[in-house]
Amino acid sequence: MAKIGVVLILLIVIVAVFAPFLAPHDPTAQDLDVSQQPPVGFGSTSTEEVPVQENGSVVIEDGNIVTEERTVTENTSWSHALGTDGNGRDVLSRVIYGARTSMIVGIAGTLLAAVFGVVVGLTAGYYGGRVEDTLMRASDIMLAFPSLVLAIALVGVWGTAGIKIPDPLVVSGLSETIRSALGLAVGMPETITVPGTVIIVVALVNWVWFARVARGEALSLRGQEYVKAARAVGANNSYIIRKHVFPNAITPIMVLATIQVAAIILLESALSFLGFSGTNLSWGFDISQGRQFQSTSWWIATMPGLAIVLTVIGLNLVGDWLRDALDPDIGGEGGV
Amino acid sequence: MSLARFLLRRSLQGIFVIWGVVTVVFGLRFIAPGAPENVLLPPDVSEATRQQVAAELGLDQPLYLQYFDYIVGLPVGDMGTSLVTRTPASGRVLSTLPATLELAIAATVVAIVIAIPLGVISATRRHKPADYGATLFSLVGISTPNFWLGIMLVIIFSVQIGWFPSSRRPVGIGIDAILADLVALQLEAAASGLRDWLYYITLPAITLGTYFTALITRLTRNGMLEELGEEYVRAARAKGLPETLVRYKHALRNTLIPIITVLGLQLGTLIGGAVITERVFRWPGLGTLIINSIQARDWPVVQASIIIIGVGFVVLNILVDALYTYINPQVGEN
Amino acid sequence: MADPILDVRNLSTQFFTEEGQVNAVDSVSFTVEEGEVFGIVGESGSGKSVTALSLIDLVESPGDIVDGEIWYRNGELAEAVREDSPDAVDGTAVDLRQLSPSARRSLRGPSFSMIFQDPMSSLNPSLTVGEQIAEAVEVQRRASANPRSTRSRTQGYGLGSLLSGLVFDSREFVRSESRERAVELLDQVGIPDPEERATEYPHQFSGGMLQRAMIAQALAGEPDILIADEPTTALDVTIQAQILDQLAEIQAARGMTIVLITHNLGVIARMCDRVGVMYAGEFVEQGSLEAVFDRPTHPYTQGLLASSPTVDGAEGRLEPIEGNVPSLVDSEMPDRCYFADRCPKAMEECLDKPPELPVEDGHSAKCYLAEQEYDPETALPEGYFDE
Repeated sequence: MAKIGVVLILLIVIVAVFAPFLAPHDPTAQDLDVSQQPPVGFGSTSTEEVPVQENGSVVIEDGNIVTEERTVTENTSWSHALGTDGNGRDVLSRVIYGARTSMIVGIAGTLLAAVFGVVVGLTAGYYGGRVEDTLMRASDIMLAFPSLVLAIALVGVWGTAGIKIPDPLVVSGLSETIRSALGLAVGMPETITVPGTVIIVVALVNWVWFARVARGEALSLRGQEYVKAARAVGANNSYIIRKHVFPNAITPIMVLATIQVAAIILLESALSFLGFSGTNLSWGFDISQGRQFQSTSWWIATMPGLAIVLTVIGLNLVGDWLRDALDPDIGGEGGV
Repeated sequence: MSLARFLLRRSLQGIFVIWGVVTVVFGLRFIAPGAPENVLLPPDVSEATRQQVAAELGLDQPLYLQYFDYIVGLPVGDMGTSLVTRTPASGRVLSTLPATLELAIAATVVAIVIAIPLGVISATRRHKPADYGATLFSLVGISTPNFWLGIMLVIIFSVQIGWFPSSRRPVGIGIDAILADLVALQLEAAASGLRDWLYYITLPAITLGTYFTALITRLTRNGMLEELGEEYVRAARAKGLPETLVRYKHALRNTLIPIITVLGLQLGTLIGGAVITERVFRWPGLGTLIINSIQARDWPVVQASIIIIGVGFVVLNILVDALYTYINPQVGEN
Repeated sequence: MADPILDVRNLSTQFFTEEGQVNAVDSVSFTVEEGEVFGIVGESGSGKSVTALSLIDLVESPGDIVDGEIWYRNGELAEAVREDSPDAVDGTAVDLRQLSPSARRSLRGPSFSMIFQDPMSSLNPSLTVGEQIAEAVEVQRRASANPRSTRSRTQGYGLGSLLSGLVFDSREFVRSESRERAVELLDQVGIPDPEERATEYPHQFSGGMLQRAMIAQALAGEPDILIADEPTTALDVTIQAQILDQLAEIQAARGMTIVLITHNLGVIARMCDRVGVMYAGEFVEQGSLEAVFDRPTHPYTQGLLASSPTVDGAEGRLEPIEGNVPSLVDSEMPDRCYFADRCPKAMEECLDKPPELPVEDGHSAKCYLAEQEYDPETALPEGYFDE
């Protein structure tokens, strides 16, 4: 099962990194002529009479052209394999580009939360006493906020500003060259939007899990002989934390981080769905768009949601496997 | 330690946590850009009017006084005035609370009723189709964002099949209305009210409940597998106890004890899930109010909502701990 | 001599693990007379506990009893079974292996019961001690009220009442008479203030008291055969003696049959009438206590006795012969005597697996030395098995 998880994660990461090569269209390009076009295989169908041909010529019998009934699928095309949205944008391309946002927020948010949480947690667990009390009370307070509500409030206060960074694959001209050589549409977006505020917010509401795990580890390591020995030979505390305590706490932190990437991807998609998105190339944003067409064009909301589910399943499978294999004792909050 | 002392200590901790929540929430307003009273005023208003409105709302006071006033007001339910409707913020929050509670309780009931038997079946039929089915369900269930699930359910069951409504729940359908009919002995009205209630709440409850069903199924399965391998289970079988009792009275009991604490910690997720489920189904509850208030920058209502959720979380956790102490004899000792 | 109450023939129990098939119990045959204490002794991993679990049909996946017969003498049971499955009945004895799982389960309590090594983990931590003993009484009560039906035993106990019972103590299954009987039983096994103790939880008991409670629980069904698997190993030395006295007293008072499993020769010497020595899933020697202890034939038994400092003391722990019990993985089992590579008297004959050979009347050993003298001429050279 873990293999399936690893394959899913690798797939999503590759899709995210190489989006400018893989997307069949510019995900932001609108084409109102083909709006709400269904995915291949789901087009509306009609039957029409077609002349039967033999050896390149029509067959005539009793003075009439012989015809047969044939089912013809209308309004779908392989150019838009997963259909188009209400503005005629290609759903597949948007799903591919959405992977970037999820991965950026998931990984950057988890890293930020982990760095902050681990520093606080190790310090508290190692020193104990009042530092530790303060941390534990602060984490109690954090836990009393539903993370989604707190995130909404923070994003509501701070806005959803993001930073646009140039997409190296596009700016270097690499993707354009290859795409035009392959006959694909050119003119992919030149920038990647990093939803900075959203990243800070998801890290702020999730750091406490890391702090709790790191504290627990530091607490149990504090009493170990080799830590005592290091202290006895006069090593200073920050050195001991870095050289002895942290390396031993890394296993449970890694396991937690895997699960947290999944939780943060879910949180980001929820924020985007509610309209607090730092970018409009996001699965959650697309689902909220698709919801407006739920009675006519089901695929607009369905496809990005499937992408989320597959990504999170992949991360959960790997997380479960790590948890079973390494057996750390951690808690951790799941989905939205 | 006696239960009373335990409750007292937990309550004191709870009050501390609530104070922390209040302080954080109060601080939230002051990191927001722009003066709060601007929400109420057209952009071209004169400075004099602006100051007059600020004074009316007490916003001209020094920060520490505003904070003090806020804290003092809390115990009597004064959480400020909604900037949008000019009515007490606490009143607006409390009026939406029943709809959210209905949803949350319905989802929890759905989750418990499905998940515990499913988890037990999964554990006792290990490596059989039922187990694989339940495991797959719980994996997908905890990995699916509930807002998307809600939309999928609407597309399938409302739009395509037409079993459930896709419209917003009309005013006048709810547990309160059913109870009122029951009290007035209007049994027919109560029955039709219940039908309508189920008609509207089924999809939202499934949407919100799926994650918890999946989570509890998984916890129950893993817990049962662990407990069924314990010595006391073998000893219970050795004395001839029927397998039903071995599973449900002995193993499940010890499985559920830790699950209760996990669920206590998951209450925050339940409320977060309710917020977003309400958005999908346009459910007239607290979540809808919070999102609307944030978009309208109606900070007093946002603050009141978060504080009331925080209080609910703290109180429920104390109750969960008390329940835990009650059913787990080993805690009472130390 | 009367027919034995238990006649086990060629019993084999295997475990199917990732490393392969493990022959935990390998074609074991022995008999237990009514009212005697039969001891099974061996190192850990020799298969003695699995033998015990096989008798009471509690071998759990990935293990399974794959072969053998377990004849249990019980006239009433024989009559009840004769009609449906005549093959399973021989006189007044019944082959338990041919009974349905539910029929075997219904024998637990009234016919067989078991005491386990660690009383602390053998009682449910979240139910009172009294409740758990009362359950055992209730099982017996319901079984005797309606011996052929298992349905009636679970009546009035569904998932619904369970869920409410988790919050409000569940009382449906166990009736108040059973609760009173539980208190009596606690009193009989020497627990002071039994009424009060019955309402306490296992963690409020000391280890010795818990093992007494376990004995009370095992006695609740008034079983014909009590299987005691290392009943004193987890206890302090002084407590061990008390528990053994208690068991001996009960055995004498009720004429109960006990199958006692231990690695402690002192316990065997103190309690048993007859004894079987297990090694690598086999009975390598069995006979009366006197015969086996005074005239041990198998070099393994000799090694055990030699390494045991005081046979009468409760302290006689086994640290016998050099080397370890072999892995019982089927594919790694040699065709020779399993003990040959540790045996100080290994001979060329031992490369063929010895059958069970009589030493004297009622005393047998799986060793050629039962029939012949040790002959240094044919001895295998030292280091023969070190490849």
